Amino acid sequence: MSWPEALQSVIDEFADVFDPMERYEMLFEMAAEVNELPLEEWTEENRIHGCQSEAHIMCHLDEGRFYMRGGADAQIVQGLMSITCLAVNGRPPAEVAELKPTFVEEMGLKSSLTPSRSNGFLNMFKRVRDEATSLTEA
Amino acid sequence: MGMDLDAIRADFPILARKVSGGKDLVYLDNAATTQKPQSVIDAMTRYYEQSNANVHRAVHTLAAEATEQYEAARDTLAAWFGTTRDNLIFTSGTTEAINLVAWGWARANLGEGDAIIITEMEHHADIVPWQLLAEEQGIEIRVIPIDVEADSLDMGVFEASLPGARLVCVVHTSNVLGVENPIDLIVQMSHAAGAKVVIDAAQAAPHTRIDFTAIGADFVTISAHKMCGPTGIGCLLAASDAIAEMQPFMSGGDMIETVTMERSTFQSGPPKFEAGTPKIAEAIGFAAAVDYLSQFDMETVHRHVRSLAQYTASELESLNGITVYGDFTVNEGGGVVSFLHEKIHAEDLARFMDAGGFAMRTGHHCAQPLLAAYGLTSTNRVSFYLYNTQQEAEAFIAHLRYVIERFG
Repeated sequence: MSWPEALQSVIDEFADVFDPMERYEMLFEMAAEVNELPLEEWTEENRIHGCQSEAHIMCHLDEGRFYMRGGADAQIVQGLMSITCLAVNGRPPAEVAELKPTFVEEMGLKSSLTPSRSNGFLNMFKRVRDEATSLTEA
Repeated sequence: MGMDLDAIRADFPILARKVSGGKDLVYLDNAATTQKPQSVIDAMTRYYEQSNANVHRAVHTLAAEATEQYEAARDTLAAWFGTTRDNLIFTSGTTEAINLVAWGWARANLGEGDAIIITEMEHHADIVPWQLLAEEQGIEIRVIPIDVEADSLDMGVFEASLPGARLVCVVHTSNVLGVENPIDLIVQMSHAAGAKVVIDAAQAAPHTRIDFTAIGADFVTISAHKMCGPTGIGCLLAASDAIAEMQPFMSGGDMIETVTMERSTFQSGPPKFEAGTPKIAEAIGFAAAVDYLSQFDMETVHRHVRSLAQYTASELESLNGITVYGDFTVNEGGGVVSFLHEKIHAEDLARFMDAGGFAMRTGHHCAQPLLAAYGLTSTNRVSFYLYNTQQEAEAFIAHLRYVIERFG
């Protein structure tokens, strides 16, 4: 999978850092940067269930391309959402529906991929793919 | 008598592990599950290497050895828990033990117009089975609230709720607050009111010698994995009169006397409630765990675990932005400390601690009503056990201080 230029440069930046705390610091910085979903738009409908943190996403199509915005109270989840936006926004929804979140591993954040019920990132990513699937069908 | 922590830690091979890029593992998630000493691992391996066979069935040598070891495990555990083999039913853990009381005893003996008392301090395992049963049988559930100022059950409401109650279900020691409930008083008051009592001792048994006879409750539930034993096994300690009133909740092989195509008759006592091939290696491992614990004075273990929790709670309270939940001024109680930082989300904080090698828990700890009573949805939680050291508690506080300075 080749990533959009903006995401690839973020991946490279993260991959150069060996201190996990520094990577988390970079994620915190990412958290506020991309397509944040403001608190007033958080609803029960767009809430991602099963997360320890409260997380919400909204997805839509624009000229046949998929776009998402997300918000979470945990900053690491919010940071990963911002990065997910870089990975998915502007792609055809059918492509998003099949996307694998390997960019997280490339960034050295593999622990974010642990398949636990409480994993905010994985629950969020699954929701993004589900939304993309239903937008493809729509 | 002190504890030789270097020697104890050497008994647990996993404690030598490095995590998070070469950091020493500091395992502070013991309320979720404890680590296993080599003797438990060896007992289970030895069973599989030398004696593995199904129990209670065949006459060959291995079957005899397996049956002997499995039933010897029941004797060891019964002695440890202050009861007899006729009062110890193997289950998969506390959750199944509580379900066995719900579906084995309560469904057979309670109905419309009866009431069950549960508390806001319970683990979901001691809430959900009662809700399902109540819905099916038309039983009333009465809930004892937590006094959040005092971090304790509201005993006034408890007393007022007793008339007409047939069963009282209460946690011995909270998995979130570390608070120990007044079990003797609760048992005494419940029995005086004619109610049976279930004590969830999952969090107490690891560092308190649970004596079923001395506690005097009708049912006590235990999980092996929280006290150095394997996962997948625990037990229900049940009074003889209660066992006589129970109906099987799972059925199949091993629990029957005779089966015809028309009807079946059952064994009596614990075997009646242990359908199918039992957890043989796990039972042997569970017994090896109490053999391991038996070298210690459990009062000393309790003081060690509790004092680490008390030290940590007091240091946490001195850190900027941290709120600690629970009462650490009292020496009774468990080894858990729940806390939150005002700015750093619990999940973020747990990941920052993991990056430093510290294993801790975050979330609702399967006790959503308890957290809701405090107006919370999650906390961070550290929980200590006999192999944890003062240095680990100090290192935890030091790393947390660094995390707060960097991200708080």
